[in-house]
Amino acid sequence: MASAVPSSFMLSEYLEKLPGATFRKLYQQPSTAFAIFRRMLPPLAKVYVQALLYMSTPFSVKDLNVWVRPEGETASKRAIGILRSLHIVQVGQPDKTRPQEIQLTANFKRSLRLALEGGGSHNSFGVPSTLPVDPQIDIAFLDVWAGRIWQDILYYVVNSVPIRTDNRAGSSGYSAHGGPRAAVRELLLMGGLVQRRDGGAVQISEHGFNFLLQEANAQVWTLLLLWLEAADRSRAAGQPGTNLDNVEMLSFLFMLASLELGHAYDTSALTETRRNMLPALADFGLIYIDPRNRDQYFPTRLATTLTSSSSALRSVSASLDAATKKTPGDAGSLGTNPAATDENGGIVVETNYRLYAYTSSPLQIAILNLFSRLNMRWPNMVSARLTRESVREAIADGITANQIISYLAAHAHPQMVRQAAAKGTPVLPPTVVDQIRLWQLESERMRTTPGFLFKDFDSLDEYVDMSKYAEEIGVLVWKNDRRRIFFVSKVEQLRDWLRARKKGV
Amino acid sequence: MPRAIRGVLIECEPAIKSILVHIDSNELKNDAIIEDLDDTRLVVKEQMVKTLKSRLNEKLKETYRPEQPLEDSD
Amino acid sequence: MPPKRKAPAAQAGAAKAGRVSAMSTPGPATPRSLDSSVVSDGGDEDFDEDVTEAQVVREGLLEQEADEFVNKWDIKSNRFQSVNETKANDAASHLFRKRDFSHYELKPDHQNRPLWIEPNGTIVLERFSPQAEAATDFLITIAEPKSRPSLLHEYALTTHSLYAAVSVGLRPHDIINTLDRFLKTSLPEAVRRYIQDCTKSYGKVKLVLKNNKYFVESLDTEMLQKLLADDVIRATRVHGSSEITTTYAPTMGGLVIPGTQNAAGLHQANLKHANGGKPGEPGVGDAAAEQDVFAALNEEDDDDDKEAVHSFEISDSSVETVQKRCLDIGFPILEEYDFRNDNVNPNLEIDLRPNTQIRPYQEKSLSKMFGNGRAKSGIIVLPCGAGKTLVGITAACTIKKGVIVLCTSSMSVVQWRQEFLKWSNINPDDITIFTAESKNKFSGSTGIIVTTYSMVTNSRERSHDSKKMMDFLRSREWGLMLLDEVHVVPAEVFRRVISSIKSHSKLGLTATLLREDDKISHLNFLIGPKLYEANWMELSQQGHIAKVQCAEVWCPMPTEFYDEYLRANSHLKRTLYAMNPRKFQACQYLINYHESRGDKIIVFSDELYALKQYALKLKKVFIYGGTGQSERMQVLENFQHNPEVNTLFLSKIGDTSLDLPEATVLIQISSHFGSRRQEAQRLGRILRAKRRNDEGFNAFFYSLVSKDTQEMYYSSKRQAFLVDQGYAFKVITSLANLSETPDLAFATPQERRELLQKTLVENEKGPEQDAETDDLFGQSGRGRGRKKAGVRRIAGTLGELSGGQDMAYIEQNKAMNKGLTKKKKAETQNSFFKKMQREKDKLKGK
Repeated sequence: MASAVPSSFMLSEYLEKLPGATFRKLYQQPSTAFAIFRRMLPPLAKVYVQALLYMSTPFSVKDLNVWVRPEGETASKRAIGILRSLHIVQVGQPDKTRPQEIQLTANFKRSLRLALEGGGSHNSFGVPSTLPVDPQIDIAFLDVWAGRIWQDILYYVVNSVPIRTDNRAGSSGYSAHGGPRAAVRELLLMGGLVQRRDGGAVQISEHGFNFLLQEANAQVWTLLLLWLEAADRSRAAGQPGTNLDNVEMLSFLFMLASLELGHAYDTSALTETRRNMLPALADFGLIYIDPRNRDQYFPTRLATTLTSSSSALRSVSASLDAATKKTPGDAGSLGTNPAATDENGGIVVETNYRLYAYTSSPLQIAILNLFSRLNMRWPNMVSARLTRESVREAIADGITANQIISYLAAHAHPQMVRQAAAKGTPVLPPTVVDQIRLWQLESERMRTTPGFLFKDFDSLDEYVDMSKYAEEIGVLVWKNDRRRIFFVSKVEQLRDWLRARKKGV
Repeated sequence: MPRAIRGVLIECEPAIKSILVHIDSNELKNDAIIEDLDDTRLVVKEQMVKTLKSRLNEKLKETYRPEQPLEDSD
Repeated sequence: MPPKRKAPAAQAGAAKAGRVSAMSTPGPATPRSLDSSVVSDGGDEDFDEDVTEAQVVREGLLEQEADEFVNKWDIKSNRFQSVNETKANDAASHLFRKRDFSHYELKPDHQNRPLWIEPNGTIVLERFSPQAEAATDFLITIAEPKSRPSLLHEYALTTHSLYAAVSVGLRPHDIINTLDRFLKTSLPEAVRRYIQDCTKSYGKVKLVLKNNKYFVESLDTEMLQKLLADDVIRATRVHGSSEITTTYAPTMGGLVIPGTQNAAGLHQANLKHANGGKPGEPGVGDAAAEQDVFAALNEEDDDDDKEAVHSFEISDSSVETVQKRCLDIGFPILEEYDFRNDNVNPNLEIDLRPNTQIRPYQEKSLSKMFGNGRAKSGIIVLPCGAGKTLVGITAACTIKKGVIVLCTSSMSVVQWRQEFLKWSNINPDDITIFTAESKNKFSGSTGIIVTTYSMVTNSRERSHDSKKMMDFLRSREWGLMLLDEVHVVPAEVFRRVISSIKSHSKLGLTATLLREDDKISHLNFLIGPKLYEANWMELSQQGHIAKVQCAEVWCPMPTEFYDEYLRANSHLKRTLYAMNPRKFQACQYLINYHESRGDKIIVFSDELYALKQYALKLKKVFIYGGTGQSERMQVLENFQHNPEVNTLFLSKIGDTSLDLPEATVLIQISSHFGSRRQEAQRLGRILRAKRRNDEGFNAFFYSLVSKDTQEMYYSSKRQAFLVDQGYAFKVITSLANLSETPDLAFATPQERRELLQKTLVENEKGPEQDAETDDLFGQSGRGRGRKKAGVRRIAGTLGELSGGQDMAYIEQNKAMNKGLTKKKKAETQNSFFKKMQREKDKLKGK
């Protein structure tokens, strides 16, 4: 199964690494406090926050524990741990006079109250534009626009796979299409989602494939965090023109999440830092700026749903669905051309290794191209073949046999499911599944371990002692007592041991 | 004093080992294998691993059907 | 790099008589001689009979012309693909190169239509569409099936398939309109033009034997004028006859194919209802109406406006010239036999026995042949076990004229005659056989003769009787020529058969129209177009042929064997991967397992050495080319009826024409390189399993392959055809419980080493060739000639054999088989049967 996204990419980890002072600044914004409350906290932690929000004095941890059943203790500890790491609560040190107490940090408490009650003049939730709005810029328009931008980014990740057969390389393909901005491509490369190969071409990495398997929301955050980290680094390096402060950046993102889809907001009400962020956010498809009216910006569904989901990662198959299928109401629903999407959807896998995918999405087609040989294409269907070579190339790219099988299973055509149910057989032809696995095994036929071979011992004792020592320090890979030879992965300690032994003798 | 020889341990199925031995003696003038350990293991020179791998793949090509051109499924 | 093609080629090539011919590109792994002088493909068959040099040259030329013709009409040629179409261009387009048709517009109700098409003629069929049945019937008529697994099938429009379509009466506008109706998108212009171009020339001209005179016939006078403008053709016209005569086209009218529902007096649902074609744009969604369209497409309109047909007469001797010339100028000629109006040739008293019901697919295939009330020549493709013989017999019962049946072996001849007697009411005196052993003419004015290809093509060393018989065959005019197993017979043999024996119609029967060379395409011109090809999976689901579980069992080679394998030459490699002790153990295990389940098992080995070693070690009976006729019969009889004899080892001589419905399991330990045809033929041995309709019954097909050898490559190539028919081969990387098999052979390293040494010593001088090739019950008329050739080919191996241990084995086997006599006397000398008897007694004692 696909391993989880590298944890450093995840928002919580990013936040937990920030110093307390940054949090204090972040929580000055009611929108940020609210967004973190919504998105980052497990349900129990939310209950604690709600309980503590309107308490005027610190609360005794002992009393808090009264609420918790013995079996819930672990969950409770975990919840408090998260709240502490996000600097939402302070837990005092117990002393003789006072029991251990817990309370919300001041800024978080004030901001969350403001967010929930409204009021104040913080403009934390954005200032709607008072200018007339172009009636053409409606939700449907924004969905299509953001969808195209996002699909372009995903497509770039997928399609950065080198074109394999020479005769295919003829057409210019991707470049004619435009694709994501250079800055975004840099970001993908820097984040390791694609990697540069010999000869300069970029190619999807294993991270990149996992990225594709994430739900759209997680994908957006992955990219945004890469962006934040890049900003952090260039600021640390003192590069000019990088005055983007990560607190500003984060709180702006949280603010965007609180805005209303389909509404126009006033650009001039933003701080300069935030205004400087707008072009990049447009590159990511989070906001739309009408070229004829730069005083307005429109958050897209990618932005407004940033904090709506509490789930971090779905299962691989569900993630693939999210990445490639139309699911209304989800950020992932932004298909390139929803009208052309066949409602049936799905891939037929035949026992003769032919694939028929009911799709018109270039992204899904490009994903198929990662592990199969594309053959023919009609408006609503693509035919392809699984071949030994195509699967082995995918495996060489870091895609696993199981990922391919999961992908095919998750996208199985309804007819495949129906047929399997009727016959009581697996959805995918077992022979094809076996074969994909066998192809993977085939590419692992020779395991290599660099190291040292020890032989020609003076005595049996010397062999026995030394091999025993090698085993103890965990460097012994293989030995043959009869032939008195062994193989170790590291030699330094053995050399020292041998010297010591010589001296001792 | 035992000898310590730098090398790469290769672990594989017996058939693969046979092919490697065959390549070593017929194509590489016995220049790759340092020690034949048993049916499934060899120690070879580090700089020869790449060559062995590619020669092995070459040899194994006769054991599978090459990809058929797409235009003609026969 | 694929396995070296030259190696097997050299081997088989040595076994071939040299002959010059225009060769088309050989397929991979098809044995060929190095000097490309081989005519027959494979090495399965040796139809290298004696022919004159002139004949060879003429055949070469004919073949070359056919090749040129085929290429000219290839849909991929620029003639058809030059049409400019707007290309799609989105982010994924470049991944398809020229095969992106996403710019085609989907019809609004595309979900109810089952087909996509690409301009080069590839068609994808959605089998789960409500219209799928009708579309399948249509496609099988106009296109070549390429892939028929479960949900999506692929077909290809080819010149031949369109030739076949028009030959059964479809017209261009029928094809175009119906195709368009089933398509999810509109019909690409290139396809439309291709169909028009092909059909314009195909099937427009017919060669008709009427009142024993040959006529060139067409619906179009202009066409005839065009032909008569050709010097060659004009010269063949019979002088004194009127320039062009006009009559009316026949209809299926009162013709009823025996054994069909019609014959049983049921409603003529499938053959009535004219008004075919339905030009214009009829609605989609009326499945019943669709069915009628296809039924109707098979016949001409039978209402008042009968179509006029025009013809001119040509001389008997110029038939081939005309056929060849028409092909040259792009109007391939169709042959039809208006047998109901043949008042010259006497009628044959023959009908299917009452209550003989033919199956729907058999009926469908015959309705293609007799669609317009005449007999059209062509080929019907049905898997083994699906009743090809009955189709041939029914055709004979429909035509009711003299019939000549050509088979590949003398045993097959006997079987055909028996089948005729079983299914029809033919007077036994009216059906005779012509083989080396039997040369009887029928007594009456007409009748049926069953013979082999070799009997009628072998001109040298013919006995006096044979010569007389041949004269008899040549002198007559036959109503129907039935050609069995057409896929294994070289085109040259057909040419010789067809030019020496005069028949009004020809029906070719085969299980797999598949050859590793592309000679099949020439059958279209020699016999006729493919009229029908059944779907294996469908027949299996309907219970007409057995359901089969297929498995490829991987057998790793012990190190010492593999080391030798790496060093060995190509002959020895083959022997070594057959003699792999792990394979032997797997075979032993599978035999034990299936025998204990009550199965009857056939084990196939092309490698004769392995065949004998396995059979002897496992104490099983075996048959190979060197096994004598009576011994063969005895072994087979025992396999069929003796509960003690459950496993039979067969060399490749058992690939075809062997009817053993008792067999339920097939194990393949060695096979002919990458022959897809052999794989399909062998599978056919268990498709007619008697028990196929038992609840949950499965037949089993195991292919044992030695891991990391060339056999793996051959194995996957061999399976390609069956896989496209929907068969799934499960790879078994290790057999569970194998090591627990009692008395497992070669269980110790010592035994394995001994086996290796023995194998190496005994095969030092190259492999033994199977003396007989295609003919299981050989020793027929051409047996002598062939044996001679065999000696020449294998250059001394027979001599070596006689000196080696092999002879002893052969003797032993003979003894063993002698033990198979019906009266199994206790004093029999054979230890095998003694043991068997002891065990039997033991069981009785319990």
